[in-house]
Amino acid sequence: MICVEPAAKCRKVLGRPAMAHERARIARAMLADCRFCAHDCGVNRLAGESGLCHAGAEARFFSAQTEVSDELELIPTFAMTLSGCDLRCDFCITGASSWNPRAGASFDAQTMAARAKTALQDGARTIMVLGGEPTIHLPAALEFVSLLPETAKLVWKTNAHGSAQARELLDGMFDVWLADYKFGNDTCARRLAKVPDYVRVVQENLRWAADHSELIVRHLLMPGHVECCWKPVAEWLAANLPGVKVNLRSGFWPASHAARHIELQQTVSADESRHAFRFAQDLGLNLIP
Amino acid sequence: MKKHRDSAACGVTADPLMTELLILHTGEILVHNLTPAMAAILSELNPEDGAIQPRAGVKWLKQNNSLSSNHELPN
Repeated sequence: MICVEPAAKCRKVLGRPAMAHERARIARAMLADCRFCAHDCGVNRLAGESGLCHAGAEARFFSAQTEVSDELELIPTFAMTLSGCDLRCDFCITGASSWNPRAGASFDAQTMAARAKTALQDGARTIMVLGGEPTIHLPAALEFVSLLPETAKLVWKTNAHGSAQARELLDGMFDVWLADYKFGNDTCARRLAKVPDYVRVVQENLRWAADHSELIVRHLLMPGHVECCWKPVAEWLAANLPGVKVNLRSGFWPASHAARHIELQQTVSADESRHAFRFAQDLGLNLIP
Repeated sequence: MKKHRDSAACGVTADPLMTELLILHTGEILVHNLTPAMAAILSELNPEDGAIQPRAGVKWLKQNNSLSSNHELPN
């Protein structure tokens, strides 16, 4: 549908900006039957309908700045944060803006690309597109990519809940996929993020990302969820994506609606954190800071 | 929550930059959306903290100050 040749070959011939431009056009047309994420709503966002993410046809952003809190190998990164998300994680630190696709300012790809280029000139190592969840705004994200230098190192920060359609559009567009693997089982995923069939979808996305780009997997340790969430995640990564870079984060704080869940009304204890890191080391995971 | 309006420290935009901090009773500081300027400040607050030093020390043309304490980085 998009290119008869593999994405890597197309990119060599056409260049990423040209490919991204064409895909942005295709992605925009696909808003008429939106299936960018695994919720598979099929709504016509071009006609004003909205699915579970509540996003319309136009993207907005609530933050765009250079940051140094991501993986050391990626920073400084110019982080551009699109409003709206297809998940509803009760502990989301930026929940108010992340869940509201009308938060922030109108997204203009030309203006944002100019800011990103300035950041690169000032020493930013990467440009990161995130949210919320950027997958729900593929037309805007791809248009942004089309205006960036071919040589810029681009990072796609995602909840890994995208669809096969979305992945096809993203193939060859980003150098690094920085993907969350938040929950180790579907019960926790449904209870804390109201998402069904989470584990299968995320694992499908992670396998694809590992095959099509550089992949870094993130897991945010949650208090009381080391056994049920972190350990299954760690075991799956060790067995299925050996050697993949893993960033295990222990800085959970009880933000947003975390207080709805008694175990999330606190930070991760030092004991839990030590236990989690030891488990990762015992499995031989490739932990990165 | 910390707002920082020094656009020169960012070099990208005149928009307010934002880093979110959570200071625990233990003295540990949790940080989200850490900017180079805030990293410099935290680093100066606690030069002994090994977690912030690599972040405060990244090469950033417009960075003229920076930071840490005993802190962790959330999602």
